[in-house]
Amino acid sequence: MSKYWVITKEVYKKNVKSFGFIAMVLSPLIVMLFIGGLIYYFSREDVNQEPVQIALISEEAGLSDVFQGGDWNLEVDESITSESEAEDALVNEAIGGYLVIESEEDTLSIDIVHAGELSEYIPMFSELFSNYQTMLRAGTLDLTPDQVMSLSEPVELNERQVSIVEETLTTEDTTDTMVQQFGAYFVSIAIMIFIMTYAGIIAEEVASEKGTRIMEIILSSASVTSHFFGKLTGVMLILLTQLSLYAAVGLGAYFYFRNSDFVQQITQTIDIGALLQELMGFTIIFFIAGVLMYVVLAAFFGSLATKMEDVNKAVTPIVFLALAGFYVGLFAFNVPDHMLNVVFSYIPLFTPFVMPFRIAAGTVSTLGIWLSVVGTIAFALLISVVSLAFYRSNVLIYSDTNIIGTIKRSWSIMKSNKQAKRRRAIN
Amino acid sequence: MLEVKGLNKTFGDLTAVDEVSFTIRPGEIMGLIGQNGAGKTTTFRIILDLLTADRGDVLWNGDIITNKVFNTVGYLPEERGLYPKVTIENQILYFAQLRGKKPKDIKPLIDDWLEKFQVKGKKTDKVKTLSKGNQQKVQLICTLIHQPKLIILDEPFSGLDPVNADLLEEGIKEAQANGACIIFSSHNMNNVEDLCDSLIMLRNGKQILHGSVKEIREQFGRTRLFLESDLTKEELLEFNGVTHVETTREGISIVHLRSTEDGKAIFNGATKHGYIPMFSQQPPTLEEIFKQMAGEKNE
Repeated sequence: MSKYWVITKEVYKKNVKSFGFIAMVLSPLIVMLFIGGLIYYFSREDVNQEPVQIALISEEAGLSDVFQGGDWNLEVDESITSESEAEDALVNEAIGGYLVIESEEDTLSIDIVHAGELSEYIPMFSELFSNYQTMLRAGTLDLTPDQVMSLSEPVELNERQVSIVEETLTTEDTTDTMVQQFGAYFVSIAIMIFIMTYAGIIAEEVASEKGTRIMEIILSSASVTSHFFGKLTGVMLILLTQLSLYAAVGLGAYFYFRNSDFVQQITQTIDIGALLQELMGFTIIFFIAGVLMYVVLAAFFGSLATKMEDVNKAVTPIVFLALAGFYVGLFAFNVPDHMLNVVFSYIPLFTPFVMPFRIAAGTVSTLGIWLSVVGTIAFALLISVVSLAFYRSNVLIYSDTNIIGTIKRSWSIMKSNKQAKRRRAIN
Repeated sequence: MLEVKGLNKTFGDLTAVDEVSFTIRPGEIMGLIGQNGAGKTTTFRIILDLLTADRGDVLWNGDIITNKVFNTVGYLPEERGLYPKVTIENQILYFAQLRGKKPKDIKPLIDDWLEKFQVKGKKTDKVKTLSKGNQQKVQLICTLIHQPKLIILDEPFSGLDPVNADLLEEGIKEAQANGACIIFSSHNMNNVEDLCDSLIMLRNGKQILHGSVKEIREQFGRTRLFLESDLTKEELLEFNGVTHVETTREGISIVHLRSTEDGKAIFNGATKHGYIPMFSQQPPTLEEIFKQMAGEKNE
């Protein structure tokens, strides 16, 4: 096994077996389970709720039939027939409210008296009694049920949302946009969470090895390149493990619960296939490139720390960068074609946060997307190379100066080594 | 064989290592002494290829040292550390793998090594459960278990109690018997005197002393005289070349002389009436030389 793989394996094994990793993987699942449980509990609560009792005071017979058959949670108390009885019942909280319905020929006038419990039913009452009134008037006009139907047939509405891309109108499927925006939003949050977590892991890995001088032993055993990329690979494999675990849990849960009402409801509103396709496309490229860039930077900043205790201080710049990116992304969610967002979507460190929203909103051309993808990957490679160059000298500096001081010293060591190598090459 | 020829390394205006040269043959131990900041660690880092020298060469068996010889190196850095959450066994295996060894070759050796260094703990224990001294011994095992041919130890004795220091000495001697080239730095001159075949002293990057312990001490002349006789302090001070006299609690006089020759007159004076229990004229100890040299101004 090459030393690169020995290092990768060690980083992976050490972290995956740690309590921190297990807690990190489980905590979102536990939170989701908790939220799911709450939703389930409250939806059950809803179903099991006692129906609200109401009274109908009306000369008109058969009005209570209006309430038959619907899936609303109302029950008409037939025993109450006068307004004073109804008022007493309301005072005693035997009923939630009462409706006084007066009809004059084919016109209905309704008074609704309640103590707040019927508020959510008002639009329904309005619709129900409007229909009833329509039926009454249809009766006076001698209309057949078919004629009534044709009168009340709703108008056909076809929505076509378009985007203006390269001075032409492009038809866009609105559900697709929603899915894309959801995907972008999801990625933006996921990148943020993963950056915070994995930047922390790698910075700690590097700083602890440097602080304990294990680094010097390793660098006298294996090349800096093997060490740096071994660590990166190890950390990225941990990330992959976490993602795979979530995918497995998600798939398992889907197949287990797919016949339940709740899941059915979700799959009806959200096209899971389209969402996955969205996530598998550019979004995943931005996700990987984004996390990679920040993890490389974290390794670099981690190597600047002298002691374990300084890790948090050392990675602060990355946290701020990521936070800035995240907020610009949220801004882009609302105003995707703002000049600021256009500019930020091409700055590699912010691209993963901003570009997915612009893609979702359809305000960027395919060429633009590819440019940003290539730019992001190129930048990730560039900072890897630069970080690696600094890394070699960073790990040899233990003075207690600040980060800038350490970078300066590292630069001087790097320069001195380079000059020495060049001189040697000439000789 | 390790050959270091005319090493020179500067960082900006600071010359960290200035014309350092030495040779260590297989089975030889060299001590590197000098105050903090004298250039010892920089020298080690250049040998380990962590830094590139501006001038000069480090040769291993006649070839320029590169990362190809990494597998034959055993290095113990000055401040010691291990992964706290890893078991002793996994820790040793990891470092051995980084030195190109296969786990199956190292695994059977671990028990013997733990016993040899009297590490208190099972190999399945996590490193953090060990005391500091035991952790240090585990680190030594990590440095030596792959039978390195070039061993570099930065302050290996610091923090060790006398029993553990003896264990370390034995470990170093065993590696020496196996033909390793060993170089170590120390602030404890007793360890250096006991172990080293040769030594180098650095001051501000310059090599100010080089040779075997005996040669170096002799360079300074036999200017310390340990004397047990009837002569009083006042009488001793009257002799030519006596700079000052100390008297120990046991009544032994330590006479500081200007040169080796000055001892003869005192010998004659002290033995005028026949037998005396002690007359021992010695060169200054390594510690005295260290203090004297470190204190001297840069030429």
